Amino acid sequence: MLEAIELTKRYGSVQALDGFSLRVDAGEIVGLVGHNGAGKTTFIEMAAGLVRPDTGTMRIDGAEAGRARNRIGIAPQHIALYRWTTVREHLELFGGLAGMGRAELSTAIDELVAALRLGEFIDRRAGFLSGGQQRRTQAAAALIHRPAVLLLDEPTAGADPQTREALLDVVKQRAGEGAAVIYTTHYLPELADLQATIAVARSGRIIARGTTAELLDGLPGEVCVSFGDEEIRTTTTDPTTTLIELLNRADRPVKAIDLRNPSLDDLYRSLAVTDVR
Amino acid sequence: MSVDASPRSPLASSVATAHRIGVLVRHNIRWRLRDPGQVISYIVLPMIIMLVFKPIYVRAFDTGSMSGILHAVTGPLVMFSVFTLTIVGNSILLEREWRTWDRLRTSSASITELLLGKVVPVFAILLVQQLVLLVYGCLVIGLPFPRSAGLVVLAVVVWVFTLIAIGAAMATILRSHSELGLVSDLGAITLSAVGGALVPVAIMPGWAQVVAHFSPGYWALTMLQAAVRGDALAAFGPALVLLGIGFAAGGFAVWRMARGWGRSDLL
Repeated sequence: MLEAIELTKRYGSVQALDGFSLRVDAGEIVGLVGHNGAGKTTFIEMAAGLVRPDTGTMRIDGAEAGRARNRIGIAPQHIALYRWTTVREHLELFGGLAGMGRAELSTAIDELVAALRLGEFIDRRAGFLSGGQQRRTQAAAALIHRPAVLLLDEPTAGADPQTREALLDVVKQRAGEGAAVIYTTHYLPELADLQATIAVARSGRIIARGTTAELLDGLPGEVCVSFGDEEIRTTTTDPTTTLIELLNRADRPVKAIDLRNPSLDDLYRSLAVTDVR
Repeated sequence: MSVDASPRSPLASSVATAHRIGVLVRHNIRWRLRDPGQVISYIVLPMIIMLVFKPIYVRAFDTGSMSGILHAVTGPLVMFSVFTLTIVGNSILLEREWRTWDRLRTSSASITELLLGKVVPVFAILLVQQLVLLVYGCLVIGLPFPRSAGLVVLAVVVWVFTLIAIGAAMATILRSHSELGLVSDLGAITLSAVGGALVPVAIMPGWAQVVAHFSPGYWALTMLQAAVRGDALAAFGPALVLLGIGFAAGGFAVWRMARGWGRSDLL
């Protein structure tokens, strides 16, 4: 379980975090969304013990973040791999640092090779991997010691659909086993796939938190009815009822209907669009 | 579900620490073995220079050929050991460039463990370089075998420690490999020349003899030559100066590396 309470952090003139509070329970996946500069990466770095808060507390399973590093697994936003080290050697390095023995490591590597489809490049040096393969390697290094808290900072950025699908499956599986997962992304459909609850960050704090349904409640969707030569398009908080009303009033044959319920993209735009720091 | 982070007994804690350092040392040795070019050149080049410059140094000393031979071996040894600052610097600079240092900092390893894991292989490499060159000096150049091998090894250890500390400190403030190359190449030539590695201090102009005392190369040369002669007393003072420089530079490097570079302007 991870708990952040009223975190603040300032870098020179930039207030990176400004009262950032978030709680992620065991088995929960939280999708942390927000524009660039909203504080997501600073928060992830703080949870990983890389950055200390100016004020506030960050606890992982009850311990101060910097003292619970073996309980976290992190896939940072930027690729952080040794160019001359193979994928297997990376997993042995980070598994070894987490205290895993040879046999335990071997089993864990086999499992991740299968889950993240690392087999074809497991003995290739990281410098010779594609972007997607590097992403998978980085995720595998975060997962190798079965951490209680997973910090995944845009783990699928620039990744191919195969990488994305494999990674999402593993994240769901680990959450199912009890890991608390923080997942930042700009690809919001991923959060629906993960059945994540959502936390929206803006200007260094969480401004909205809840399930997708809770956060979408009250947001306008869109209804479009086409009569061939004419089109009626309207935004509404109740698209279904509005559509029925439009159809009842129609005096001509309807050629096409397009009903769009509010999506996470709409939520993202409505809550975070004004963040221009 | 996670691996236990905090072994309870002191023994278990020590075992875990040793295990992590071992993992890091193995990782760093593997890394160095895959990029051996610099090390090889810093062993072979001084060997060639010793051989070629031996007659010049022998003639430069009026007091007898042994001082000349001693300088023919220890001069290039000190000069090329200063060049090895790039090995230390590059290994740290690459960690910054690849963002792997911060990744390591998120692991269970403490900063001390991370530094030991990084420094031990480099320390061993530099130690081997210095000892190989000294043995070469004895077997090929004609340097008499030192009266006290232990004293020589001790002197080499002190010098290697100082070099690693300076290299690490440099790597934490320089921003690129070209900057590191510039500083270490220029620094190596300047420090070793000023320190008397190229031309013996005794035949330098008066002002240069004064300036020489500000070069670690001078103290390294004085210490190593005294150690080879078996003069522990003469080696002691320079060793203290080098240790002082080493601890100051090392302390600065540790302070910088413990903070990480996540939001640094460097790189």
